[in-house]
Amino acid sequence: MQSKRIRLWDLPTRLFHWILALAVAASVASGQVGGNWMEWHGRIGLLVVGLLTFRIVWGLVGSTYARFAQFFPTPGKIKAYLRGEWCGEGHNPLGALAVFGLLGLLTVQVTTGLFANDDIAFTGPLSDLLTKGLSNQLTGIHHLLTNALYVLVALHVAAIMFYAHAKKQNLVRPMVTGWKEDGEGESARGGGFVALVVALLVAVAVVYGASGAWLPPLPTPAAVETPDF
Amino acid sequence: MKKQLALAALALAVAGTASAQMKPEDAIKYRQSAYGAMGWSMARIKMNVEGTFNKEDVIKSANVIQAIANSGMGSLYLPGTDKGTGWEATRAKPEIWTEKEKLGKAATAFNKEANEMAKVAATGDAAAVKAQFGKLGETCKGCHDDFKAKN
Repeated sequence: MQSKRIRLWDLPTRLFHWILALAVAASVASGQVGGNWMEWHGRIGLLVVGLLTFRIVWGLVGSTYARFAQFFPTPGKIKAYLRGEWCGEGHNPLGALAVFGLLGLLTVQVTTGLFANDDIAFTGPLSDLLTKGLSNQLTGIHHLLTNALYVLVALHVAAIMFYAHAKKQNLVRPMVTGWKEDGEGESARGGGFVALVVALLVAVAVVYGASGAWLPPLPTPAAVETPDF
Repeated sequence: MKKQLALAALALAVAGTASAQMKPEDAIKYRQSAYGAMGWSMARIKMNVEGTFNKEDVIKSANVIQAIANSGMGSLYLPGTDKGTGWEATRAKPEIWTEKEKLGKAATAFNKEANEMAKVAATGDAAAVKAQFGKLGETCKGCHDDFKAKN
C-alpha cells in the first residue's frame, strides 16, 4: 500500500495523553514530598480520575484509533506482531498491552488513593466510608503500586526510544501533531462533538462522585457545644 | 563500705529492672496513644489553617506535639516490640532496631520541626503556621516511609 499522510490521534486523545503525563509526574512528586503538597496530591488525583474516565468513554465513542476495540491486544494479534507479520495503524499489539496496563494501573492507583490516609494529616476524599484498617490496607497497595508505575512508565519511554533509534520511527510527533507522515491505513474518523460532550460529562460526574462533595459534613468542634475544659 | 557498695549495687539493680519491667504490651500502647494525641493535634492545626484560625487552639496543639516529640519516646521501643499488640497490632518495622543512624536522623528532623512549630504557633501568624505545619508533616512522613508498616 502506498504510504500517505494520515490523521492518527484526535485532539482529545492527545490532550488526554499529555495532561495525564504531567499529572502523573506531579502526583509522584507531590506524594513523595508530602506535607502541604498532599493537598495538591489529592487535587491531581481527582484530575486523573477525570482523565481516566474521559479516556475510557473516549475508548468507546472516540475516533478510530482511540477506540479500545480497534487496538485490543488479542493473543493472535500479539503473536503476529512478534513474528513481524502485524500490519496496522495506531497502537501495535505490544503497545496496546502497555496502554491497557497503564490505564488499569492508574485506575487502581486513583481508586486506592481516594480511600487512603497518610497517618499524618491527609485522607483521601472517600476514606471516611471505610474502616481505618481497610483504608490502611488500600494505602499499602497505593504505595506498593507506585513501583509498578515506575516500571511501566520506564518501559513506555524505553519503547518509544527503541522505535526512534532502532526502527527510525518517531512516535512522539504524531502524539503532538496528530498526523502520521508515512501512514498506511485510513485517517481516523468519528469522535465528533457529541461524543466529546458525552465523555466530558461522564468524566465530570465521576470526579464529583470521587471528590466526596456529596458526603454529609462531619460535625466541627467549633459548631457544636462541648464541655468547657 | 562493703555494705554501702552492696546497697548501691542493689539500688542499681532495682532501678535497672524497674525500667526493663515495662510490659511490652504497655510500651506499644503508650506509643500508639502518643501518636494518637499527635494525630489529634495535627488535625486541629489543619482545621484552624483551613477554617477559622484560632491562635490559642493552634498553640495548644503545637505544644502537645512539641511535648511528645521531646518526651523521649525512643525508650518505648523495647527490643522485640516490632511484634505485639497494644490498642491494635503494632506497625513498628524491625528496621527501627537495625537502622539506628537513619532512624536517628529522621527523629532529629521531626524534633527540630516540632520545636519550630511551637515557636511559630506562638506568633499567631496563620500563613507561617500553615507553612510550618507542612514542614512538620514532611518529617512525620520521614519516619513513616521507612519505619512504619502500612498495615
